[in-house]
Amino acid sequence: MNAISSESLTKIYSDFVNKKLSVTALSDFTLDVEQGKIFGLLGPNGAGKTTFIKILLGLVNTTSGRASILGTQLPNVKIRKRIGYLPENHRYPNYLTGHQVMKLFGGLSGMRRAEIASRSASLLKLVGMEQWSKMKVKKYSKGMMQRLGLAQALINNPDVLFLDEPTDGVDPIGRKEIRDVLKQLRAEGKTIFLNSHLLSEVELISDQVAILNKGKLLKVGTVDELTTTDANYEIGVATHPTEAFFHEAAATVLKFQLDKSTISADLTSTAELNRLIDLLRKHNIEITHIAKKRTTLEESFINLIKPVSDEKKPEVRQ
Amino acid sequence: MRILSLILATFRELFSKATLYILIGISVIILLGLAAGISAERNGDEVSLSLFGNPTKMPVPADQFELLVREMQAGFARGLFIGIMLFGVFATASIIPDSLEKGTVDLYLSKPIARWELLLGKHLGAEAVILSNILFFVGGLWLVFGVKTGVWNYQLLLGALTMSFMFGCIFSIVLLLGVVFRNTAIPIIGSFIYLMFLDNMLENREEIFVFTQNKVVHGLLDTLYYVFPQVAAMQRNLDMQITHRAMEWKPFAQALLSSAGFFGISALLMRRKDF
Ligand SMILES: Nc1ncnc2c1ncn2[C@@H]1O[C@H](COP(=O)(O)OP(=O)(O)OP(=O)(O)O)[C@@H](O)[C@H]1O
Ligand SMILES: [Mg+2]
Repeated sequence: MNAISSESLTKIYSDFVNKKLSVTALSDFTLDVEQGKIFGLLGPNGAGKTTFIKILLGLVNTTSGRASILGTQLPNVKIRKRIGYLPENHRYPNYLTGHQVMKLFGGLSGMRRAEIASRSASLLKLVGMEQWSKMKVKKYSKGMMQRLGLAQALINNPDVLFLDEPTDGVDPIGRKEIRDVLKQLRAEGKTIFLNSHLLSEVELISDQVAILNKGKLLKVGTVDELTTTDANYEIGVATHPTEAFFHEAAATVLKFQLDKSTISADLTSTAELNRLIDLLRKHNIEITHIAKKRTTLEESFINLIKPVSDEKKPEVRQ
Repeated sequence: MRILSLILATFRELFSKATLYILIGISVIILLGLAAGISAERNGDEVSLSLFGNPTKMPVPADQFELLVREMQAGFARGLFIGIMLFGVFATASIIPDSLEKGTVDLYLSKPIARWELLLGKHLGAEAVILSNILFFVGGLWLVFGVKTGVWNYQLLLGALTMSFMFGCIFSIVLLLGVVFRNTAIPIIGSFIYLMFLDNMLENREEIFVFTQNKVVHGLLDTLYYVFPQVAAMQRNLDMQITHRAMEWKPFAQALLSSAGFFGISALLMRRKDF
């Protein structure tokens, strides 16, 4: 059973007055998220990330398509007992203290008092908020709000956790702490669904990522799959290649560059890779390692998004 | 349990605002004034009731004194009724738009709470707050009159419940306007217009019918009369209640149905919203 599953989900925010202002926030969006994984949903502003989470939480109605959480068809109110949510703009009653906020939302989750009290204290500690738990929310800084938000999302010990920009406004140490918390939760078998712009951060913790642009799913896979490019290889060599090698390689039209003891090759197939290896061996050049070249998640994100954005740009006549 | 949490949260939300304390402050001032000013004077067989030394009415025979006190209490209830309702609306109307605001509604609805439950919790929360205020004020009246005149009118206390019920009916209009417009001003203005003007006009629509035979006008006014909670009719019954006369249940049944209707429409509109 998948933690989250969506099938051809489409959401159009209609503007009844001016039809041209209607927005297709999600279009034919199909995605499965396995249980016990950290899943990162990436995409530029307005891509539809928040809309997807809001549909799953029943905050936004779908135009068409289906979705389920832990096997339960949505919309469903009861399944929210097993869900935690940190919204992107969350506002807590500012006359309450952090601790009172936890009590309030624990109560709204239908938890018992004793359970709330014990979980609240340990969660506030977990997110590093214990020293501020008796302070009124109205005095909180952005990062404190975010930490409280995370603790609040965990109050009901959810199986599936939705986090919309969880580290927004949090300092570097806090971010690391939050990542550690998320990893710990994953180890407990929880599923974490993350929206973020911080690609380097997503890269650090996500098992799987999906890239969304203008409501359409562009790519989904593991971080490895998204950051390794098929035909780019790195070959380490122990001895400097000879002139004869370069000569022969140029004749067979193999594209590569040499940088100290590493050859970066941009090849079209594994057959080409093997040809290059054969050539190196023929010239008695010792190979130390061969690896697929990695890009950063950011690079592949930009490469994926850019062509789509360029299409839309009006032509500039010279 | 979850609804209870919502009610408590609403209670706390409203008591975090200054408006309610102003209401409580006004109540205290009126009660203290009454306690200081009211007195019963016996003159042979006759008793009179005076406020700061001025007789409020002609002296009555001792066996009718109780009636006189009840009538004065009813007069208070009548005079302060609109004020209490309007101030109640003023103090509570913000809770609907506030709870539908981005960042707040997300948090509520991500919990196992249906949208209609959120509205119900808020509605009952406002009701609970106003009930407590009315009980405080009317309870105070009851006590002051009891101590100063020796007339302990328990029907006055029941009148507090009736008034709270009426507030609940008016709040259903506030709720609907709040859900539709998601702001505080329109529900306040809307219920003010209803209480100050429309309700009385509908109650006395026969007088308008004298001027026009137009079927559409008749139909429209009749429909509105039955659609909206009949506050004026309930108010007459509140009078009867405090003065120990027979009450009619019909206006209350009508108001209950009407506010259930307003609540239902609010819940339906709420279902269709994207937050
Ligand atoms: N309530 C709404 N009514 C109308 N349009 C909306 C609403 N919410 C979002 N949209 C539109 O839907 C599109 C997707 O918005 P969404 O908030 O899902 O983007 P996002 O990927 O979360 O962006 P960001 O990274 O900026 O948070 C945007 O064009 C936005 O203007
Ligand atoms: Mg977003």
